[in-house]
Amino acid sequence: MPKRRDILAIVLIVLPWTLLITVWHQSAIAPLLAIRKACHHLVKEIFIIPERLAVRHHRLSDDGVERRREAGGQAQDSKEYCASDKDIVEVVRTEYVYTRPPPWSDVLPTIHIITPTYSRPVQKAELTRLANTFLHVPNLHWILVEDSQRRTPLVTRLLRETGLNYTHLNVETPRNYKLRGDTRDPRIPRGTMQRNLALRWLRETFNANSSQAGIVYFADDDNTYSLELFEEMRSTRKVSVWPVAFVGGLRYESPKVNAAGKVYGWKTVFDPHRPFAIDMAGFAINLRLILFKPQAYFKLRGVKGGYQESSLLRELVTLNDLEPKAANCTKILVWHTRTEKPVLVNEGKKGFTDPNVEI
Amino acid sequence: MATRMKLKLKTVFVLYFMVSLMGLVYALMQLGQRCDCTEHDMPKDRTISRLRGELHRLQEQMRKSEATKQPQKQPLKPTPLPIIYVITPTYARLVQKAELTRLSQTFLHVPQLHWIVVEDSPHKTPLVTDLLVKSGLTYTHLHMPTAKDRKMQEGDPSWLKPRGVEQRNEGLRWLREDRRAQPGGDNQQGVVYFADDDNTYSLQIFEEMRNTMRVSVWPVGLVGGMKYERPVVEGGKVVRFHTGWRPSRPFPLDMAGFAVSLKLVLTNAEACFDGEAPMGFLESSFLQGLVTMDELEPKADNCSKVLVWHTRTEKPKMKREEALQAQGLGSDPAVEV
Repeated sequence: MPKRRDILAIVLIVLPWTLLITVWHQSAIAPLLAIRKACHHLVKEIFIIPERLAVRHHRLSDDGVERRREAGGQAQDSKEYCASDKDIVEVVRTEYVYTRPPPWSDVLPTIHIITPTYSRPVQKAELTRLANTFLHVPNLHWILVEDSQRRTPLVTRLLRETGLNYTHLNVETPRNYKLRGDTRDPRIPRGTMQRNLALRWLRETFNANSSQAGIVYFADDDNTYSLELFEEMRSTRKVSVWPVAFVGGLRYESPKVNAAGKVYGWKTVFDPHRPFAIDMAGFAINLRLILFKPQAYFKLRGVKGGYQESSLLRELVTLNDLEPKAANCTKILVWHTRTEKPVLVNEGKKGFTDPNVEI
Repeated sequence: MATRMKLKLKTVFVLYFMVSLMGLVYALMQLGQRCDCTEHDMPKDRTISRLRGELHRLQEQMRKSEATKQPQKQPLKPTPLPIIYVITPTYARLVQKAELTRLSQTFLHVPQLHWIVVEDSPHKTPLVTDLLVKSGLTYTHLHMPTAKDRKMQEGDPSWLKPRGVEQRNEGLRWLREDRRAQPGGDNQQGVVYFADDDNTYSLQIFEEMRNTMRVSVWPVGLVGGMKYERPVVEGGKVVRFHTGWRPSRPFPLDMAGFAVSLKLVLTNAEACFDGEAPMGFLESSFLQGLVTMDELEPKADNCSKVLVWHTRTEKPKMKREEALQAQGLGSDPAVEV
């Protein structure tokens, strides 16, 4: 008959061992398997989705890159999981392409795109194809600023129908300067007041202390943007730069990058000694920097042609802080296209077509 | 008492031995496997569970949006959606890559679309080849050079010679050949649309044209010297065309203003574009043999909405580039623009 003392002795002996084994089991095995399965799924589903945009390196965060490498290392073990998941991946992938816009992610920094626009015959066409591009970009917030006295129904309706995440603002550029013909007081460059209004809106809406990561990009409505560009700019820490095609009378203008990966000059013909000899479409700014320097705006008056970008950037960053993107500024990911003014001779004085039909 | 104690001790030792042995065996098993014990710390676990939560949320959202959408969008099963074959002639110039890029971004939103790109070139260029591969679209890459006397020269105005004729005809020829080889012959569902690479297309136009029985038509913006050109519809039928330029043409439409059903294209194997036709009669040369005006199907809300615009892109100014190249200091030609 086992005495209580003996039982106690046995329990005391066995207990530490069982504890050791269970603790070891829990800490070593479970996360290992979990990582394997989770990585596989996450790689397949979250990482594959952006690959649909043909982006090779999708950097969610530094953790994300490591995880991908981990998962890659275990890929051969997890191949047997692949077969059954393939159908799901295919459905997810195709659904993502047709789902407009892509689902919002809590991990990706938001790209705030500031687009000034004004009424002219090609406006709806330009905004339509711009929207078609933006509908592919996850976590995009479009800030459209009209150069008008009040928001036009054309743009209001267009924005609503696209389904994009947007903010619709408007401010009218005073036209009297042009009429005055005063050479000493040149007119305000087009789009400046609108971009400044958007910057002010961002500063009023977002708190400098909030953790909401964001990138600010100025996109004109007649340029052409590749989808890769948005993924390149997402990792901007301060201000990132890249080449732009068809500006400055050249095939492309680009920053000069040295072997250390730092920008030291500008490869342009038109005034390369500007502080920032870059086009509006050639840089992106981290939202935190915008909020941190609330006095930085585009200069309204007295700005020489080509110096507008410098008027903002010199208050935010120095040449040394610029981050070159697009494979060290060797790839073209944005084109400064311009749309021809359509010939409307046959409209005549009174207008031939029904003015109620929106174009 | 002593024997019982001895027995007890023996049991204890045996027990210890068994437990240690089990532990050792287990450890040995683990040694054989890959172990990332060094890398599993709390922050990583947290990020994993956050990403997993992310993933579940995204999937939930997709499932929700899928539930509200029409059930016809089932990509894994054979879909009843007719395929839209878009024939785009293109030629090498500075803005070509930009135009094709933004065109592909629009097409990527349209399900069941097959892009037929025909280059005006004696061979396929790497620029277009790479672009098509990266686009993620279903595509066919063809090429057909224009005869020298028909080709536009540097200073020619855009209306001087008809453009894209050989390329569109080549697209039609390929389509007919490819579809003939498919089972089902002439009973295939599909629509053929001629999309130039500098126009602007809204996504609705593709849904409007998808159910074309013979030839469907709709307004086109910014063409013919007017804000838009359109067919005039009365009683659901096209009675005439509202255009400011030569309205007496059989079909005073722009290339972007109509779509032809695949069946009609296949049954009329000889119908193609006539390069010798007078200016503005290119579309008519194709449509004349296919359909009569009262057979046209008006789309876009009885031809009252503009869903496609005939935009044209400016030729970029290359003054400085040319000056540099004269000095031998032109931009790196290896960088593709």
